[in-house]
Amino acid sequence: MTRNKLYTFISVLSLLGYAWLGYQTYSEKQNSSIGQVCMFKATTTLPCPSCGSTRSVLAILQGDLSQAFYFNPLGFLLIIGLFILPLWIMRDVLLNKDSFFKFYLLFEKRVVKKPIMISLIAIILLNWGWNIYKDL
Amino acid sequence: MESQKVDMFIMSNSKYFESHHLPQIREQLLALDDSKWGLIQTLQFQDPTTILIVSLLAGSLGIDRFMIGDTGLGVGKLLTCGGFGIWAIVDWFIIMGATKDKNITKLQQVLY
Repeated sequence: MTRNKLYTFISVLSLLGYAWLGYQTYSEKQNSSIGQVCMFKATTTLPCPSCGSTRSVLAILQGDLSQAFYFNPLGFLLIIGLFILPLWIMRDVLLNKDSFFKFYLLFEKRVVKKPIMISLIAIILLNWGWNIYKDL
Repeated sequence: MESQKVDMFIMSNSKYFESHHLPQIREQLLALDDSKWGLIQTLQFQDPTTILIVSLLAGSLGIDRFMIGDTGLGVGKLLTCGGFGIWAIVDWFIIMGATKDKNITKLQQVLY
């Protein structure tokens, strides 16, 4: 993974995220939606660990934080990422730096350490269990 | 290194690499010192076909990316439910190439 590849990738992903959010708010008004895109849910009928995060992000944008937390706590992480990552990458590109790339490499190195990895997996699994319990 | 050993390595490991990399790998191995042979033999590569199956089954959870060592991308894929489903589908087609890339990086780390 090189710096430019990662930056292009994150930019495309954020753009997709914004497009998705825009489409969702638009279809909410029009009362028409293509329905769910989650392949996991479509095949197993169980919600995946990040199911509900679109609803969560939309709830945050409307200021309903408790509802957002109920839909999926990961929505908070996603909206922070959606705000910060494009700005961070833009700054790096404009100033010709690689601070985000260094952060990404450090993150990859840290996250595979056993205590961190196990606790992260536990959090995701707990959240997943809660998702299934809520039947999102 | 003896060409017999190199050919044996290429034969048993060719499926782990892109075919256009094989001649280069062969040349590098031939120029390599014999003392590294043991190290190279113990290298474990990821099978692209296995990763493809994982990608088909659990791609939207990012498991395929975690398995080939792209932890950061794996987290991204997990949190966005496979990149809104699109990334998961794109990965069905590029994950084999990505796995082979990872394998050759692993080999290069030993060669140098």
